[in-house]
Amino acid sequence: MHIPDGFLDAKTAIATGMFSITGLGTALRRAERHVQSRKIPLIGLAAAFIFVAQMLNFPVASGTSGHLLGATLAAVLLGPSAAIIVMSSVLIVQALIFADGGILALGANIFNMAIVATLCGYGIYKILQIFFRGEQGRLVAVGFASWCATVIASVFCAGELAWSGTALWGTAFPAMAGVHMLTGLGEATITMLVIAAISKTRPELLEDNDQAVPANGRSTAFVYVALIVIGLLLLVAPHASPLPDGLEQVASSLGFEHKATEAPILPSPIKDYQLPGIPSAGTATIVAGVIGALAVFALSFLFARVLARRQKSAVHPSSPPNRQ
Amino acid sequence: MRHDFLDRYSRLDSPIHRLPTTAKLLSTLCVISATVTLHFTHAWFFIIVAGVLLILSALTTIPWRFLFGRLMVLEPFALGIAVMALFQENGVFVFLSILTKSTLCLFTVILLSNTAPFAEILLSLKRFGVPKLLITILALMYRYLFVLIDETERLNRARSSRTFSNSPIRKWHTMASLIGQLFVRSTERAERIYAAMSARGWK
Amino acid sequence: MNPAIEIRGLQFRYPDGKEALRGISFTIADGECVGLVGPNGSGKSTLLLHLNGLLPESLPKDPNVVVYGRALNKENAAEIRRDVGLLFQDPDDQLFCPTVYEDVAFGPEQFGLDKEKVRAVVTKALETTSLLGHEHRSPHHLSSGEKRRVCLAGVLACEPRVLALDEPTSNLDPRGKRNLIQTLKSIPATKIIATHDLEMVVELCSRTIVLDQGTIIADGPTHQLLGDEKLMLAHGLEKPHILRHVHPH
Ligand SMILES: Nc1ncnc2c1ncn2[C@@H]1O[C@H](COP(=O)(O)OP(=O)(O)OP(=O)(O)O)[C@@H](O)[C@H]1O
Ligand SMILES: [Mg+2]
Repeated sequence: MHIPDGFLDAKTAIATGMFSITGLGTALRRAERHVQSRKIPLIGLAAAFIFVAQMLNFPVASGTSGHLLGATLAAVLLGPSAAIIVMSSVLIVQALIFADGGILALGANIFNMAIVATLCGYGIYKILQIFFRGEQGRLVAVGFASWCATVIASVFCAGELAWSGTALWGTAFPAMAGVHMLTGLGEATITMLVIAAISKTRPELLEDNDQAVPANGRSTAFVYVALIVIGLLLLVAPHASPLPDGLEQVASSLGFEHKATEAPILPSPIKDYQLPGIPSAGTATIVAGVIGALAVFALSFLFARVLARRQKSAVHPSSPPNRQ
Repeated sequence: MRHDFLDRYSRLDSPIHRLPTTAKLLSTLCVISATVTLHFTHAWFFIIVAGVLLILSALTTIPWRFLFGRLMVLEPFALGIAVMALFQENGVFVFLSILTKSTLCLFTVILLSNTAPFAEILLSLKRFGVPKLLITILALMYRYLFVLIDETERLNRARSSRTFSNSPIRKWHTMASLIGQLFVRSTERAERIYAAMSARGWK
Repeated sequence: MNPAIEIRGLQFRYPDGKEALRGISFTIADGECVGLVGPNGSGKSTLLLHLNGLLPESLPKDPNVVVYGRALNKENAAEIRRDVGLLFQDPDDQLFCPTVYEDVAFGPEQFGLDKEKVRAVVTKALETTSLLGHEHRSPHHLSSGEKRRVCLAGVLACEPRVLALDEPTSNLDPRGKRNLIQTLKSIPATKIIATHDLEMVVELCSRTIVLDQGTIIADGPTHQLLGDEKLMLAHGLEKPHILRHVHPH
């Protein structure tokens, strides 16, 4: 999902850059205020940790392999502000040292993978935790949240590509969302396994992460998710309807279009033409997404049950026999 | 194990390496901005950029094999996304435009990252007014990246020496618990680093 | 003159319930060099962390660590940390900056010295540890011995009056060890060295404290204690080779 340079035009790069600077700035300010100074080294180490975790390959069928994105993992382990800083740092280092993801596209990449994915993962996780409690509940929430975070981040990525005129929304949306509905499965599985492993060895590490968040964490979670859903609707809805150039329309209603035309040195060469018949691909993707979400939820539920049961049986034999 | 493969050439001594990092950072930004925003019909510009980049890389004395090797590793990702551009009117033109632009930008960043040490890039960023907290975290992250890679390698080796099954399910399990263990160790190390920082008067 | 370090009845329990120190008391005079020996897990590192106020997490009401006449408490912890330079067991924990120069300069900068002063102090520390010319290298490109020396330089740059060293010679080859011992000899500060390297203790320290399971087993002249084969064996140690021919009493 790392967008290289050259794929986004100036208006998209600038707009997403603005969003990212605001988001990361807020996270930094919150961290300065709420995170104790003894946790600052942990944020740096966690960034290195996510970076290394992303480098590990998980074998998938026929010689291919997948790897972790880690936004939800970071959010669950560290809380949202710290996780945004962690994911942004990972992306900055990847862009500057490894040329993985562009420099001008850094704003968009941070926006998708460090802000949207993190907040979305954290919000869904927290909301599900209201309904599902205990070890199994946590794993269900983690699995579903990481799948959603991956897919939603990829939809934003598709939106940016389309807005830049790099690809048609009708192509980018089904392609990106489709691919990430699959890779999201891996993301969910890995995140669940990792959280299960951590809660087996050091359960207290999962308990005290909320220190970074003020007490009203739950309502904040709702706000995050609501904001992201609104964003998604703005992105998806106009395209799902037969109206052409939906994103452009949203843009113009928000005033971005105006800005873009004001600066003629920053051209967006290809206009976003909708081909007839393409909107149905978009609609099909949305339907697939909804069905996929339900299926993933059911799968997370089953998998969490298996993991939680293993955990229990793993704990039992090692616990000392009752000594009266 | 040593990990200089990640930034092996950033400390060479060449005319380009000796330039101030801030200048290199700014010119990288300029080149990339111009490349991204200029319309593809201005072919002359892209040819000039390519030429300049090639001359610069010759001056850096970094082996060509390494530079193009990096490029080849990164190009497939760009290609994967660029393919989506083909499905539209004028698709081939857009495809070529994107591919050219992204290749040039990739090469520019590869040159930057191999001629400027990250520590100095951080100092420049600090001078540009990037928040101090972010700089601290980036510096810590970069420093401990190498330590964690070492640690992962050791954990992995210890595991494989005692793993006798090849099933992918087992593999996923072991990989995940390796990641879990890595996190636990990172938190413990973070505690010790905090102690070391306080011992020298931090905060 | 106040003693450099005075510890009275120090007890410490880790949050997981492990009792690491059980009533430790001793005094170290200014300029003295003391070896702290004992088997793995005897509490050496834990004790050194206390000298710097890094443990316990919240400092107690009635302090049992006194540095140059000042009882260590929350208010003067920063000041006392400046007086006691701590070299950690794992150099990777202590070298947290991206370059050697920045790392050595970290302490002086935190203490608010101006740029020129910092440069002077850092240069001096690098010179003492024979690291001049390595300023711009990254820690992950250094060998273990070089890392250890950078850590020491970072501590020396804070100009401490007491050096608390935790296993300074672990992971060093014989030459690295020799160089380090020479460097330490040339530094006039009060030193307390926790180590398993008894040969170094014999060479550097006139006095030794033997620690086991969080209590002080013996405290006295190095030659006498380390030459006592029975005592050494009883606490998982070995009489060092240089003392083979020396018989106590
Ligand atoms: N962070 C910690 N949490 C809980 N227990 C700890 C912690 N650190 C050390 N301990 C325990 O406290 C005891 C003393 O440990 P310490 O590290 O001080 O020993 P040491 O003498 O330095 O050993 P070594 O020679 O191996 O370095 C040990 O039993 C150890 O297991
Ligand atoms: Mg120790």
